[in-house]
Amino acid sequence: MRKFFDKAATLVFWGTALALGALLAGVLGFVANRGWSAISWEFIFEPPRDGMTAGGIWTPFVGTLELIVVSMAATVPVGVGTGLYFSEYATDSFFTHVLRQSIRALAGVPSVVFGLFGLSLFVIFLGFGSSMLSASLTLACLSLPLMVTASEQAFRAVPQDYRDASYALGATKWQTIRKVVLPSAASTIITGVILSIGRVAGETAPIIFTGAAFYTPDVAQSLFDEVMALPYHVYVLSTAGTNIEATRPLQYGAILVLVGLVLGISSIGVWMRTRLTREK
Amino acid sequence: MDKTESDLDLPQVRTQNLDLYYGADRVLRSLNFDIPRGCVAAFIGPSGCGKSSYLRCLNRMNDFISGARVEGRVLIDGEDIYASGVDVIALRRRVGMVFQKPNPFPMSIYENVAYGPRLFGVKDRETLDETVRSSLEGAALWNEVKDKLNTPGTGLSGGQQQRLCIARAIATEPEVLLMDEPTSALDPLSTSRIEELIRDLKSRFTVAIVTHNMQQAARISDYTAFFLLGELVEYGTTSQIFTVPVDKRTEDYITGRFG
Repeated sequence: MRKFFDKAATLVFWGTALALGALLAGVLGFVANRGWSAISWEFIFEPPRDGMTAGGIWTPFVGTLELIVVSMAATVPVGVGTGLYFSEYATDSFFTHVLRQSIRALAGVPSVVFGLFGLSLFVIFLGFGSSMLSASLTLACLSLPLMVTASEQAFRAVPQDYRDASYALGATKWQTIRKVVLPSAASTIITGVILSIGRVAGETAPIIFTGAAFYTPDVAQSLFDEVMALPYHVYVLSTAGTNIEATRPLQYGAILVLVGLVLGISSIGVWMRTRLTREK
Repeated sequence: MDKTESDLDLPQVRTQNLDLYYGADRVLRSLNFDIPRGCVAAFIGPSGCGKSSYLRCLNRMNDFISGARVEGRVLIDGEDIYASGVDVIALRRRVGMVFQKPNPFPMSIYENVAYGPRLFGVKDRETLDETVRSSLEGAALWNEVKDKLNTPGTGLSGGQQQRLCIARAIATEPEVLLMDEPTSALDPLSTSRIEELIRDLKSRFTVAIVTHNMQQAARISDYTAFFLLGELVEYGTTSQIFTVPVDKRTEDYITGRFG
């Protein structure tokens, strides 16, 4: 009987893992199948034309990259810094308890709420207007809880032995963090960055009110320009385009590029992580 | 630091009425003894007797334990290391430590040894190269690793890792070297290499070693301290402790009646 349960458990867990894999493969296959015909050099390197019924996705493609870079530039230092604070400096007090809980709660807030928050704080109150900067900062807020949690975990996973050895050699706390704790945690932090990028790249709701353009002919040149972004572009084409049916291949093509972009960034991250791990 | 003749005659580590508390627990009770310069002092006793806690008093690693509090004095080269205004960072540079489990940093062999000197601002490549070489030689590891200094320290065997940690500790040229059961995670062959090394090291450093292994204490130390329940039961030359112990409890412990 025990043997039966053991076998059954193995089967169930193996099955769930398989189902997840199949689901991912299914989605990728579906997108690739529908979108593949649209993919060409022109599709990627040309801006949308003819009321977005023809042409490519260059403008939203670059816009998404810009949003990723600017939002990561904001979220990584703040997230890693906060993670560092929680792991290395914070003592167990009511104050830090409240802080932790707030960050956890923040992770559960729907993305559209972040969008409205960004609208009132960055767009209106701080006067950045509807711009790449506002949209990126809103996305940064959205990915911050993930970044904080991931880096705190990363720092906590650094063995105490390393810290002891460093202190025993006469290192200060900051020297220990900079030379031992941060490098040891780097590979795990990179995982957090990848997850954040995946989240940021695919979001639509937070950027609709804060900086995403329905259509701009040019790639955004400054932080205060509006940007087109792939997910919003797809949303626009499929709900508000001038000819929704005719642009189906464009929509699937854009999704395929978005998925490819996220997977591409992930694999760079995985590669960097294995390199860092190997150096140890 | 200028040392006069009389400084050198003084014991290097003097412990005077030392009490250590973890919160309300009194972990060490009124310890009084001296460790002379250039010798190996071994601390033996059953688990939980306070010997490791005592060792960590000597480089103030107990400072990291919340609720830890010290009363009494520890003088190293005549300076009370618990006096107010003592620079703990400078103290740890003078008092190196090797831990129970080999704990090289996840860096290259070279960077592991250069870590201490770099902390104190040594940047000159030649000076660093020289320090790394002499420290690895001092730790009897140079010949095994000289051709792979840029490979990870964690790729070495356990015994080599521990010698790397010794090299790292002596690279800052401490005066006292603390060792907390440095061979308890190692095989017999690696253990005997480290013991040999410790005997060599005492010409340059005063070595304080905690060990669970009484034969080891007998083999390598000049002085032995027997701890029990936070008290120093007996302290004397190793030959005296192992042949004619004064206290009945010491005799019982070294003859294996308890422990």
